[in-house]
Amino acid sequence: IGMILQGWLGILFCSIHGMLGSVLDCEVGGVHCTMSIEMLLDRAIQHAELIYRISEETRTQFKETFIPLALVTQQGHADHLCTVILPTPSSKSEVGQISDKWLLHSVLILVQFWINHLVDLQASLDHYDNTPQDLLDKTKWVSSKLMSLEKGLLTLIRKMLNENNLPLDNSKSIADHLASPRTMEHVMRDYTMLSCFRKDAHKIETFLKLFKCRQTDWPGCSFY
Amino acid sequence: MATCLTLLLLGALGLLTATGHRTGPASELLTPDPPTQPHFTGCRSREQETFRCWWSVGSFTNLSEPGALAVFFQMTNTLYAGWRECPEYTASVQNECYFNKTYTHIWTSYRVQLRDTAYNITYDERCFTVENIVHPDPPVALNWTLLNVSRSGLNFDILVRWAPPPSADVQMGWMSLKYEVQYRPRNGTRWEKMDLESGTQLSIYGLNTDKEYEVRVRCTMSAFENFGEFSDSVFVQVAQIPSKESMFPVMLLLVFGGVGLLLLLLLIILSQQERLLVILLPPVPAPKIKGIDPELLKKGKMEQLDSLLRSQNVCKPHSAPKDPWVEFIQLDMEDVVEKSETSDTQHLLGLTHLGSSHALSLKGDDDSGRASCYDPDMGAEPESIPPVREVHSPVVARSSFSTHIHSTTTTPEAAGMHIPVQMQPSSQSWINMDFYAQVSDVTPGGGVLLSPGQQSSTPSKNTDMKKKKEDREEDVAEEEEEEGKLQLLVVDSDGGYSSETVARQQAADAASSRVAEQAYHTLSEPPQPHPQAWQGGYLAPDRQPHMPYFSPEAPLASVLPPVSDYTVVQEVGGSHHLLLHSAAPQASVCPPHPLKLPPGEPALPLGYLTPEFLENLSP
Repeated sequence: IGMILQGWLGILFCSIHGMLGSVLDCEVGGVHCTMSIEMLLDRAIQHAELIYRISEETRTQFKETFIPLALVTQQGHADHLCTVILPTPSSKSEVGQISDKWLLHSVLILVQFWINHLVDLQASLDHYDNTPQDLLDKTKWVSSKLMSLEKGLLTLIRKMLNENNLPLDNSKSIADHLASPRTMEHVMRDYTMLSCFRKDAHKIETFLKLFKCRQTDWPGCSFY
Repeated sequence: MATCLTLLLLGALGLLTATGHRTGPASELLTPDPPTQPHFTGCRSREQETFRCWWSVGSFTNLSEPGALAVFFQMTNTLYAGWRECPEYTASVQNECYFNKTYTHIWTSYRVQLRDTAYNITYDERCFTVENIVHPDPPVALNWTLLNVSRSGLNFDILVRWAPPPSADVQMGWMSLKYEVQYRPRNGTRWEKMDLESGTQLSIYGLNTDKEYEVRVRCTMSAFENFGEFSDSVFVQVAQIPSKESMFPVMLLLVFGGVGLLLLLLLIILSQQERLLVILLPPVPAPKIKGIDPELLKKGKMEQLDSLLRSQNVCKPHSAPKDPWVEFIQLDMEDVVEKSETSDTQHLLGLTHLGSSHALSLKGDDDSGRASCYDPDMGAEPESIPPVREVHSPVVARSSFSTHIHSTTTTPEAAGMHIPVQMQPSSQSWINMDFYAQVSDVTPGGGVLLSPGQQSSTPSKNTDMKKKKEDREEDVAEEEEEEGKLQLLVVDSDGGYSSETVARQQAADAASSRVAEQAYHTLSEPPQPHPQAWQGGYLAPDRQPHMPYFSPEAPLASVLPPVSDYTVVQEVGGSHHLLLHSAAPQASVCPPHPLKLPPGEPALPLGYLTPEFLENLSP
């Protein structure tokens, strides 16, 4: 499945550098292209979806590979161990109250956070003896896609919110994020990280879709 | 958080000892253990906005009373970290705890515990996040439409449509659903699963028309694996088209029938091969002449054939009719004659008026073509209209010629030139055949006497005699041309033409204005006191006008009435004389004009021209 997803993401995320109204210049594999803001948003959502799916696959694979069966719990998730990076709406009603700006900013913060911390995860994974190559490839792939998503988000924020100079927040370390004590084994720590990442990826995807459906009131929202 | 983890580990250790093995997401129902204590049976959310938890008392039936057990929950990542009791115990459902929207937070860890409030015993605990326990409601409004039916009528395709569950807020983007369609034959057991579909429609191809299918659909959150319940099934069936199905055997029957017929035909053809060949390709008869060995008819034996034919007297008057080719010609001529009842020939020759005495009066035989088989007694029967007609029938071909002459009266010379062209075929036909009668003599009246079986050069005389002739008053002397001229005339078609030319010229001199018709008719003008011009075929040997020879007669010729081109050969003398017109009473129409003979010549009977006489005439 990972290969299929990677293949599907042959849709490279364009590197946006144009400022031509609603039409943006981009470059895909050296080929010049143009796209609208709507298209950019759609592509961002696609990225978020894929990132979430890959994160889920990565977590599952890690669990199957490293977590002893004895430790498999009912829920199979360690999401509860994740610290809140930033307060986010947690219900539909709360989401209805937050602004577009907040949505995009939240997504951006999450993306930037995980770009920084996935590097630590990859380093940690390399220390294992029998880490499947597929697992490592996935984490690398996710990191690259996160970076593409960050670029797109910056453009979206600039275009749709008319903001510039967004601060990057990467102060938090992975240790802060994880509330688990250091006594935890490496494996659990990594597993927890993957779970938290998965949860945040789901947040990113949901926020972007909420933002999208707010913009156009598009019947396509029913497809999400 | 740490306690939760500790509990997890404890629970895992407990699992090691337990026989049961629990895996999968938190929402899965636990496999029941024989000595069961109260436990949660499941927690589910339908729309990611609320969720419920159910528990079971297990074997502790004394705790089944409502209120004996309580559910407490704790949410992580919230400001409020204490335990709270279930916000709502569903009244209608036993052992259910309902968390409404206020208490439902996604991306938040929940901890629920089943406690015995009386004794403060925690029987069970669960940790989860709401989005991980979401099982969407089944899709609604499932229907199908027929896309198409295959040509053979055995397969068909359908398009299945549905709507997302109303409880799931996909409009806002709160939930993104994926659907899974399954179908199976009505009485089948195994369900066919289609790939996850993110839209709300799907095409199913390749269903059999003779089966009824059952289709259902369920959905899940995108990238999650918690499927909801299946929707109600719809049944798909396509009414069979009997005509198409029944057509098939009929077509097979037709095909086999056609093949069988073909085979039968083939058999017949093969068995009757010879007969069919005879019918379709009749054998070409080899050349055959009665009494003649076919061998002689082969190439290269013409001489033998000639001699044979002559010796056999093929041209016997009585046997002639038996010759197929002669009969053929004869018939042909008769037909021609019959057709041209009122042909120009008739007019030209004035047959209708005359007794056609001046016309070539071959022996009144039906075989006009067989001039050679002519009976010397023809003189007794100089003319009768039918024979005359027959006689003229060979010349019918020249009717066009005569008409041609008519048209070119004013331009005699030109006509003369044309004449040869037209005259040629007929003259040649005359020339080539030895079986045609030969003009042996020419009567002063223009009658031509034919001699049968003569092979001299006189056959051409016939031709000449029969040639059309315009005003011939001045041509009387031409009759007296030598035999050589006759010969020349005969052999050389040009000569004949030239003679014609001469005659034409002479005629023109006399009465150029006269039409050939008149010329012919003039023959029928008996009262012409003028000496009859030579009515027979002029015998100018060459193109040079031999006028000088006939100059003495020229004036006479001018006075003479026009002579018809055709002359009836009435008698053939033994010495190659041609008696063109006998002095029969019928010839009154064209009374034979006395030929003016050059002096010194023995007086010849009227109409008699001897070859010697003609020779003398030549220079």
